[in-house]
Amino acid sequence: MQQLLLTLGFGLVAAAILSLSAVAFTLEYAVTNVANLSHGEILTIGAYAAYVVHQRTGNLLLSAIAAALAGGITALAMQTLVIDRFIRNRVGTMPTFIATLGMSFIIQNILVIIFGASSVAYTIPQSAPMHIGPFLWTSTEIMILLTALAITGLLFVIITYTQFGKALRAVYQNRELARVTGINAQFISAATWALAGLVAGYAGFVLAESVGSFTPYFGFSFFLITLTATVAGGLGKPFSTMAGAIIVGLVLEFIGSFNLGKYSLASYNLAFAFAILAIVILVRPRGLFTKPGRSMFE
Amino acid sequence: MTLQFWSQYIITIFTEGAIFGIAALGLNLIWGWAGDFDLAFYGYVALGAYMTIVLTVGQPIAPAQYIFGLQLPYPLAMLGATLAAAVMGLVVGLIALRNLRGIYFSIVTLGAVYVLYVLASQYVPLFDGYNGVFGLINPMADVLGISFNDYPAFFMVFCLVIFAGIVLILVRLSGSKFGLALRSLREDERAAAAFGRNIYMLKLKAYVLGAAIGGLAGSLFAAYVTAFNPSAWSPIEAIVLYSAILVGGKGNIRGVIFGVVIIFMVVQESTRFLPDIPGHPSVIPSLRLITIGLVLVLFLFFRPQGLFPERRYHYHLPHVQPEPETAPPAATEAAATVAVPDVATTAPAMAPAAVPAVVANAAPIESPPDILVLEGLSKHFGGVAAVDGCSFRVPKGTVTGLIGPNGAGKSTAIDLISGFKRSDTGTVTFEGTEIQNLPPHEISRLGLIRTFQTPREWPGLTVLENILLAKFEPDQETLLRSMLGPGIGHHSVAEADLARARAIIEEFGLTKLANELAGNLSGGQKRLVEFARIRMAEPKLIILDEPMGGVNPVLGERMARAIEAFVASGTTVIVVEHNLPFIERVAHQVVVMAQGAVIAAGPFESLRSNQSVIDAYLGDEVTV
Repeated sequence: MQQLLLTLGFGLVAAAILSLSAVAFTLEYAVTNVANLSHGEILTIGAYAAYVVHQRTGNLLLSAIAAALAGGITALAMQTLVIDRFIRNRVGTMPTFIATLGMSFIIQNILVIIFGASSVAYTIPQSAPMHIGPFLWTSTEIMILLTALAITGLLFVIITYTQFGKALRAVYQNRELARVTGINAQFISAATWALAGLVAGYAGFVLAESVGSFTPYFGFSFFLITLTATVAGGLGKPFSTMAGAIIVGLVLEFIGSFNLGKYSLASYNLAFAFAILAIVILVRPRGLFTKPGRSMFE
Repeated sequence: MTLQFWSQYIITIFTEGAIFGIAALGLNLIWGWAGDFDLAFYGYVALGAYMTIVLTVGQPIAPAQYIFGLQLPYPLAMLGATLAAAVMGLVVGLIALRNLRGIYFSIVTLGAVYVLYVLASQYVPLFDGYNGVFGLINPMADVLGISFNDYPAFFMVFCLVIFAGIVLILVRLSGSKFGLALRSLREDERAAAAFGRNIYMLKLKAYVLGAAIGGLAGSLFAAYVTAFNPSAWSPIEAIVLYSAILVGGKGNIRGVIFGVVIIFMVVQESTRFLPDIPGHPSVIPSLRLITIGLVLVLFLFFRPQGLFPERRYHYHLPHVQPEPETAPPAATEAAATVAVPDVATTAPAMAPAAVPAVVANAAPIESPPDILVLEGLSKHFGGVAAVDGCSFRVPKGTVTGLIGPNGAGKSTAIDLISGFKRSDTGTVTFEGTEIQNLPPHEISRLGLIRTFQTPREWPGLTVLENILLAKFEPDQETLLRSMLGPGIGHHSVAEADLARARAIIEEFGLTKLANELAGNLSGGQKRLVEFARIRMAEPKLIILDEPMGGVNPVLGERMARAIEAFVASGTTVIVVEHNLPFIERVAHQVVVMAQGAVIAAGPFESLRSNQSVIDAYLGDEVTV
């Protein structure tokens, strides 16, 4: 029981980071109808930006801000320089989707040229783990949990109550209709991507903190788990996505805590994540929280 | 640079180019023809490479461990590797192709390849984890007595021969009816199902064949590099293959080969002679990969069809006379209409005399049997009952008009009859067989063909191909026949079919457009192609969903006559239509739907005074 609760504690931290990355990914999809395969690179750029700032200043808060800003700028650039042009040229959903894979490839290799392919790490002094209730967390983990909660709360308020949030939901429901009712869909898309980029950049920073070290490819591997969490929850729906992320994050942490003979199941995280996704998508092709159709044409 | 250097260099280029070309052609089968953006593809190449090595190099020496550890001759190992890739393709395809399309298909295939990658790198007993497998050196050299120096040239020829074989198979396949059917799925799945194609099976066959070709390429790659491990491949490396296909021309075999030359020779090889930057070993390879990524994005944006777009097949039509220059089809239509005096008045006379235009329930004994019977058919979407206890009968050899206000459930009823939606309750009986739970292609094969509200031509196929494909012939369309049967590629289409297609094309005034892509036609011409397809299919029952939508009166007249011709040849027709004069003109009986149920049925005349019909159309309370 004690062990189970400890695992739950670690799982919550993993789920918090996953949920930040997933909600950003789902927001990008919501306003452009494009599943951004270069989403992971926003996290990577956030992590490297924080790394650069932390090396110069040693200040954690500044590093976090740098990560978020770098993420925001990256996402905004992706949207305005590539995605929006593809949408306006009516190139189609699939070609745009494939183009994001190309972007991911380009960014990864630019980062390899700048920072090299070997892994780097922050030098942050870790506090001893503290007992909070039944859980065992370091100060970094507590910070991750609290900020994730705060960001989630803020996103909830923005999406549910503000004028911008209403416009965002309108663009998600029907881009053309939103446009003819006077909503600047292009601006809403760009602003949403920038917002998603801020969240994803910060997620990259906390992910790098909790994993310890990272390479130009680390965002992409985490993106694969983000993808399963998002699709399992429901692509384009922020709150279903978060629920999906928490479920996937916790399940993976529990699976990872088991050992099979001499092999720890933790190294199979990705395989398990996609197994979960395959099962979910077979039963509920449009996500856990949707109703399935009875024929593929429905 | 010595002569020896250059000959070695050329051997390298051709060997790698052939292996890479085989892989690209396999992926082109899946992405270019079947239209599925498969991210798992590099996994099949990798599995082929792994399997070839573990099947040839014998038992592992501790502490190494891997499966099989056999010492098979290399050709047998190639076969094993190809089969292994095909089996993995079958498993992935069974899951991902069932009901996932677009990005959902891509995401699941991405997952599949990462599962393989994680297993290959983490689960040591499989392929020895990160150490990988190695030791496949110059296979077949000892058996054939080839010297160490001659081996590279021999292996280049070996790869080129296999490459040529794959090209031959795929050229045969692409123009065959199997290839055509495959491309029709890419163009419009619903129409393909409506004309009897089993989408899932067709896609699965193409996917497994593509995966097998990937495995074969991997097998050659393993023999070329002698070893394989997780650092030798990454699932995302498939991006090089996608770029090659995209640059050359998706779906075009020559284009894909050309794309391989461009991407592989120009992008990969051009940096071979650049000096390394000291201290930055990864700059040159990274620049290469950035270039490939940029090429992919730029081509997707500026020239998605590639440098050599998919070929249009020109069929040899039997007995085609050179056409004299005549007026465009529209003018011919007008002339034809003038020549037929007042068809409307003659229409009743054309109706089969034995068919009384009344509902079958009340029909006298000598009335024809019902070809289609609906009993209590219902379909709910959430809380909304789109079709709610719908029952009616359609006598054989008649035209039934199905009318009703918008939202009455007409289109849903058609979807339920044709299997495109599954009903909640109720039965549909077609010629005495209950069909309500059958998938669309099986219903179509029974002889029930439907159209859709908007024309669903296969835009990327020619008019002639659209018509040829309307006839579903199971024995003409097998994968085996397309690869090994008589005739190469598009020459394998049966003469009789071509002759019939030609007659139909002439009948509908489409002769000049026969080799035009259907997607380039006007709305009216697309309607004509739809009618021509139905004529080719020779169904027993036709369901037309709003054929008059957006159609001018001249063309409408042509359609009315086409419907009458169908009936004259013994076919039964159901027409859903808002254009009531058209219904009055063609229909023997009319079924009126409102709020998901039938509120009236009978000859058109009898409905004029029916209060509930008037109420339904004018929006008053419906009292049934």
